[in-house]
Amino acid sequence: MQASSDLNNQNISSYGSPTRTFYESFEQVDLESGVRLGPLTVAYETYGQLSPGKDNVVLILHALSGDAHAAGMTENGRVGWWDGMIGPGKGVDTNKYFVICSNCLGGCKGTTGPPSPNPLTGKPYGRSFPRITIRDMVNVQAMLIERLGISKLHSVVGGSMGGMQALDWATRFPGKVKSAVVIAATARLSPQGIAFNWVGRNAIYSDPISACGTPEVDSDSVRMGRGLAVARMIGHITYLSEEIMERKFGRKLTLKDMDGIRYSLGENEIGSGEFEVESYLEHQGAKFMERFDEDSYIIITKAIDYFDLESQYGDLTRAFSTVESKMLVLSFTSDWLYPTSMSLAIVRALQTLKKNVSFVELDMPFGHDSFLIPAAMPKLTRIMRGFLNGV
Amino acid sequence: MSDNVIEIRTPFHEFEAGFNVIIELITPGTRVLDLGCGTGTLLSRLRDEKDVEGCGVELDQEKVIRCIERGIRVMTLDLDQGLEGFPDLSYEYVVLSRTLQQLMNPEALVKEMLRVGSKSIITFPNFGNWKVMFEYVWSGKTPVSGTHPHPWYNTPDIHRLTINDFRSFVKQIGARIEKEIFILHNQPRTQMFWPNRRAEWGCCLISAY
Repeated sequence: MQASSDLNNQNISSYGSPTRTFYESFEQVDLESGVRLGPLTVAYETYGQLSPGKDNVVLILHALSGDAHAAGMTENGRVGWWDGMIGPGKGVDTNKYFVICSNCLGGCKGTTGPPSPNPLTGKPYGRSFPRITIRDMVNVQAMLIERLGISKLHSVVGGSMGGMQALDWATRFPGKVKSAVVIAATARLSPQGIAFNWVGRNAIYSDPISACGTPEVDSDSVRMGRGLAVARMIGHITYLSEEIMERKFGRKLTLKDMDGIRYSLGENEIGSGEFEVESYLEHQGAKFMERFDEDSYIIITKAIDYFDLESQYGDLTRAFSTVESKMLVLSFTSDWLYPTSMSLAIVRALQTLKKNVSFVELDMPFGHDSFLIPAAMPKLTRIMRGFLNGV
Repeated sequence: MSDNVIEIRTPFHEFEAGFNVIIELITPGTRVLDLGCGTGTLLSRLRDEKDVEGCGVELDQEKVIRCIERGIRVMTLDLDQGLEGFPDLSYEYVVLSRTLQQLMNPEALVKEMLRVGSKSIITFPNFGNWKVMFEYVWSGKTPVSGTHPHPWYNTPDIHRLTINDFRSFVKQIGARIEKEIFILHNQPRTQMFWPNRRAEWGCCLISAY
């Protein structure tokens, strides 16, 4: 890890060449809970060139399972989670903008979180990691931006949990954000959203291996617990839609000779699933086990659950009274996890305050995850390019 | 949803007269809400020519995206759901251009317009035009014309109203007409002999008492 605050000396990665993750270290951060967390490391990536006036910065805010690697390709060939949107000539044009994306506080991809070593014990924090909020995540992002010597952001752009952060940015740092794009987000998580997160966490809690909370389980000798995989599967169902599942999987089976009589009841392990939709979820769960940390999952979903600007400020018009940014709120017709009505609640509050807000509801079948789906990129690209241009 | 959307068929150049009339009515530097703003043509002209701070409302996704691309502030909303969220008197002008005849409940929306804006500008095709009327009576069939270009069984124009209809409607809802402009052969006129029979389009500036 190397702290490097002078951007001009950095070999700034751009699409086409392998991306590089940078790290900034901070002594500490004061959390909303009153706990002081430190030391703190923030992992981030940048794309494009910072303008001499430092006025072309777009901060990208990732969702629950995202990380700092938003665009381009790593040396190992891993493509960024929003590569379709960020790059030269793309919706967030790196020929024009200097794009920053950092891993959120509590994450497991380089920024301090449950898998990081607790300086007091030398062992990973695990579930002893302090309780964090969306605000804490934003405060850490603000610390990073300040460290990089940037005083004003051209835009903050985030989907889902990232959209919550974008709202918080616009609300608490009005002078620092010229515009904000809030995609498939809400000002308060719905009881349905809380319910699904609860089931996800329960899958982890009830996992016989992870239940003990010891992160040092020898994964070579003991079968890894599958709680996190189950949590991810539940999550994935909520990110899709009935229509797209029908289109993508239908009732197709993975084995040709499978029939309705000789099905498996999980005798041979859990198996890889008989229906294609099962096999897809299984695959998503397994992949997630390799790349995510279950305690991060718990701590971040808790932060999402408790995000509620309405109760925090009394009501949304009070919450947004400080907003000065040009706002764009985006929702998707098929998103039943963060439905349009929730985006509209944000929009109506901003309207009441006569703020500069645009609202686009896109007719897309891909559910909550629409903003990440390649098929959605042509339309999203036009919207992002147009909006960022007009800021 | 958008596959079988009926395009508003009067091309822009044919309705330029209509836009010119609206632009003429608007005081520079004001706030304008354009309901059914399409691709934002009127609002971008108002921005460029009158330094207007505009906002559009449009349901068609492709048109909404065009607005964003042109840097026009826009909302994806269904006008038949009213103008919830728009504060009272938050705009100097609310414009409803060529859309009145397509609404499920014109009365509800026009009342909402009067609530949200100090003044409202409404343009609509005049079904009272003698050629249209003659066609109606002569053939005994619902006419298809330049102002009403779709057959009855597949048209967004679900109301057929005349200039006289509109005048009594405005009185009925307790508002008043401040200005009337009539468009015939793309020529706007403030004075017209027998407008209810001759005008192709009506354009009215109305306000609440």
